[in-house]
Amino acid sequence: MLRVALRGIRAHLVRFLLSLLAVALGVAFVAGTFALRSMLSGTFDGIVEASTPADAYVRGLDPAADASDDGDDGGTAAPAGGPGAAFGSASPGVPLTLIEAAAAADDVAAVIPVIQGSVVLVGADGTAVAAGQAPSLALVYSADDPSITLLAGSAPVGDGEIALESGALAASGLAPGDTTTVVLGGEIREVTVTGEVGYSASFAGATLVLLPQDVALAVYAPDGLVSQLAVFGADGATQDDVVASVTRALAGLDAGDAAAAGVEVVTGEDVVQENKDAIGTVLGFITTFLLVFAAIALFVGAFIISNTFAMSVRQRMREFALLRAVGASPVQVFASILVQAAVVGLVGSALGVAGGLGLVELLRAVLGSMGMELAGDVPLDAASVGLSLGVGTLVSVVAAAIPARRAALVPPVEAMRDDVTTPEAPMHRRLVVGLVLALGGAAALAAAMLRPDSGRAGLLLGVGAGAVVVAMLALAPAIATAVVRVLAWPLVRALPPMGRLARGNVVRNPRRTASTAGALMIGMALVGAATVIASTTQASVADVVAQEVDADLVLRSAGAGIPAGAVTDVRALDDVATADAFAFAALAVAGPDETGDGGDTGDAVAPAAGTIVVGATPGTFGRTMTVTTVDGDLATLADGLAAVNQTVAGEDWRVGDTLRITSSTGSHEVQVGAVVTSQGIGGSVVVDADVLDTWEPPQAQVIDTVFVRGTTGDVEALRTEVAAAVSPYIVVSVMTSDEFVSDLAAQVDQILVILYALLGLSIVIAVLGIVNTLALSVIERTREIGLLRAVGLGRLQLAATITIESVLTAVFGTAIGLAVGVGLASTLPTLFADQGLSQLAIPWGSLLAMLALAVVVGVLAALWPGVRAARLRVLDAVSYE
Amino acid sequence: MTASRPAASPIASARGLVKVYGGGDTAVRALDGVDVDFGRGRMTAIMGPSGSGKSTLMHCMAGLDRPTSGSAVVEGEEIGRMNERQLTKLRRTRLGFIFQAFNLVPTLTALENITLPLDIARTPVDRAHLDAVVQAVGLTDRLGHKPGELSGGQQQRVACARALVARPAVVFADEPTGNLDSTSSGEVLGFLRRSVEDLGQSVVMVTHDPTAASYAHRVLFLADGRLVGDIADPTPETVLATLGSLRRTGPRHAAPAEASPSSSPTAS
Repeated sequence: MLRVALRGIRAHLVRFLLSLLAVALGVAFVAGTFALRSMLSGTFDGIVEASTPADAYVRGLDPAADASDDGDDGGTAAPAGGPGAAFGSASPGVPLTLIEAAAAADDVAAVIPVIQGSVVLVGADGTAVAAGQAPSLALVYSADDPSITLLAGSAPVGDGEIALESGALAASGLAPGDTTTVVLGGEIREVTVTGEVGYSASFAGATLVLLPQDVALAVYAPDGLVSQLAVFGADGATQDDVVASVTRALAGLDAGDAAAAGVEVVTGEDVVQENKDAIGTVLGFITTFLLVFAAIALFVGAFIISNTFAMSVRQRMREFALLRAVGASPVQVFASILVQAAVVGLVGSALGVAGGLGLVELLRAVLGSMGMELAGDVPLDAASVGLSLGVGTLVSVVAAAIPARRAALVPPVEAMRDDVTTPEAPMHRRLVVGLVLALGGAAALAAAMLRPDSGRAGLLLGVGAGAVVVAMLALAPAIATAVVRVLAWPLVRALPPMGRLARGNVVRNPRRTASTAGALMIGMALVGAATVIASTTQASVADVVAQEVDADLVLRSAGAGIPAGAVTDVRALDDVATADAFAFAALAVAGPDETGDGGDTGDAVAPAAGTIVVGATPGTFGRTMTVTTVDGDLATLADGLAAVNQTVAGEDWRVGDTLRITSSTGSHEVQVGAVVTSQGIGGSVVVDADVLDTWEPPQAQVIDTVFVRGTTGDVEALRTEVAAAVSPYIVVSVMTSDEFVSDLAAQVDQILVILYALLGLSIVIAVLGIVNTLALSVIERTREIGLLRAVGLGRLQLAATITIESVLTAVFGTAIGLAVGVGLASTLPTLFADQGLSQLAIPWGSLLAMLALAVVVGVLAALWPGVRAARLRVLDAVSYE
Repeated sequence: MTASRPAASPIASARGLVKVYGGGDTAVRALDGVDVDFGRGRMTAIMGPSGSGKSTLMHCMAGLDRPTSGSAVVEGEEIGRMNERQLTKLRRTRLGFIFQAFNLVPTLTALENITLPLDIARTPVDRAHLDAVVQAVGLTDRLGHKPGELSGGQQQRVACARALVARPAVVFADEPTGNLDSTSSGEVLGFLRRSVEDLGQSVVMVTHDPTAASYAHRVLFLADGRLVGDIADPTPETVLATLGSLRRTGPRHAAPAEASPSSSPTAS
């Protein structure tokens, strides 16, 4: 039987070609994801090791971390990659005064304060140096630091000198000796590049600017606090020795020095491991995210395989009957088909693994050419290869199981008959199951929409949407005939007999049509939903800006925030009435009943160190920004009270509550004076800028947005003036409110493009599915095609028939998929109105364009099968067995 | 009604028709120089053992296959030199086909199958002619059915109606009763013969069944790619006898003089 199975594949290789390709594409996605993960993790681990070279670190002890240890596990997941990462740690800072004591300890060679401040470096071409989304950081240059090497030039000394890391130097186009501009701590500075510095790893495009220690401390640690002290041990001392020695030294300080009690000393290895874990968590999210799309691609590929085997089984019924007649058991027939599927799956997966590796190599090359060097190891381990192969093979075998079962159950007597027909099973059961699922899903969605605030709304939405999508796939064969008849009507009228022939072919086997189109439905449902969510988000953003913002100009930054100096300069302009800035800091915020983090109010509150506190320029509210006050009075901000933004923070904190804020300067308490709702403010807690400055130094804050109002009504003149004022800071862009809205919309579009690209593979596989079905049905219908040609159907007419068939299938899948996707996405504004989706916007133009695209796709998919059919010689086709 | 006239030129004729399949040592001469005229308004049967070249002859005459040499002329047009486009047009407008099996498009109804050649050619349907043909094959009440819902005999009658509805110059039938029982065979053959008698149609039919051949005006016998026998107004007995004598004496012996194209006894 094994020999029969393998011969069967060889004899019909062409028929399995597209199945092979489908498996290969899906598995390439899976393998590529794994490879990308290990490449990124290799790159970032290298960065972590290179940037954490010290033997021990002294860092602030997070009071919240202690408290959360005895309770839930909410505090253990590091908020890496969340807003926290961009804003620095919220744990208390380490006083610089400890350096002396630490340096004096035994086994210690050097103690260097750790600074990672945001910076803007202007390159030789006058623009900011940046590679993609990689950050620009200012670090301390210290001759005592053994982890860095001065490759060329001299060390920077004093205010006017910097050194650059090799990658940054290359990207900037500068050379040692050149002068340029940097924005340090929000201020513009003319500096000379004195040298080139090398680290032991590539930094994936991050722009590293090294400052003399005193300059860096003056800019980024004006209050004498840094996040960490790096302690380098003397030769021969182990990390544990260094930690023990430094701990002793700090404990031995005058007992009255409270600062010593608030710090901990940890080994470099521990810090490296913590950072690697945090990066691993982020990469885990990315991997999961990509694997979801890979799974969709594989699922869609399964449709192709299933179709291929269904058609191949149908055609070889007599062969199976013969096998049964000569004594093969049903199990043997079943197994022989599964063996074929496994071979197709395995070969396809092997191609896919190779393709995935190629894809990642390509990505590496592209990123490399953009200045982001990634680590160069072979990024796939045996386990990932095994998993990819296993997944691809399993998908093939499972997809082939149902056709295989049908083949196994052929009665041997069928072999004697002339033409073996397999009666189509009635669709009653499918119809009932589909309708029950559809109604159940709709009910779940309705329940979610009626009570959007109940905690289960999200769950109901997920379950309901899942049920509706499954119902779509289950019902597709049942509705295919009716829907295709409607779609085909104009073609039947315009192009008889081709329209009629094509329609007949499409509705002849509704299951096949539905599963061919089903692959496309899944992809198009997701595309449709994504499109609606994107346009709804854009409409909602425009709505929020229109309702909440009343400014002539809006300042935003392309880099990490707007330099504080730019705000000062803009305020100094004569024609500027007000420039209201929103500064963000990520701090730990605890409510009255909570010990540590932002509380368990659900997904709305970011974990401990990531709660965003916004400092607004005094008087902003009611001037350039209008928000809805739920309770209390925003005027209390002027008295040093805080406002809670319910949209982000949830409803746990009320007016009169006392919040405990933990920042680098220690623990602070603040009373809630107002509760507001605002989509525009991206933070949980709002205080006056002056208050935030006392908690967190301005250098550690990020100014996200500045709203500018002029004294005259002439916005254009104001714009020219403001633009001139901020131009030295390079990274600040000046926009009108309308441009601000389209800028925000463009960001949504960028995400949409990424989603489209990820879903694109599924769509490509679905299109291959149409090609596959058409090509196989051309083989299956060879005699019919011969007959049509014999009675006078021309080659072009035949190709047109197949093209119409293809277009009908593609449009059917697209229309149903889009309808379901748009329908599902339309429930979201009701559910998430208070989270930024207030205005449902259905982009009819885009949806129509997608339908038009489906027509194009249909035509393309028909090219190869159409040419194949047209090339059939009439006589061969007529006498085809 | 353009009844066949005695002096009418042949509807189709072959001269020195040779068809060789393959090449070198394995070359097979399926047709080895055949000269034949098919009478206008006549029903001609072609018989012969398997491999005698009878199907090849029909395929060459119908433009489904290209002769290696010689000429095949249908209604004055040399089809051996036609390109694919011209052949398609010829098949669409001037020829009708009936195959042994798989004659109908399963997705179309009986009526749609019958009018398919007209639809393809975008020729308006002549209702009166269509009704006459449908009535003649006795399918009036089955027109809305799909082929799957029709018996084998009914399917072949639909095929006959389709072959005739476009008023082709010649209908080529390849074992049209090969899959049918004797009653259905009789119906189909009777209908083909009546289409010749009543409508002046020309029919060329390949068959291996002496009874089927006896419905024709004339029977041609082929063996090893050559014409070896030719009888007019056959009966099953004369056909059987001719087949028997060919089998006994061997094919080369009986090659007769070419039948006169105007040897039509059935005058108007």
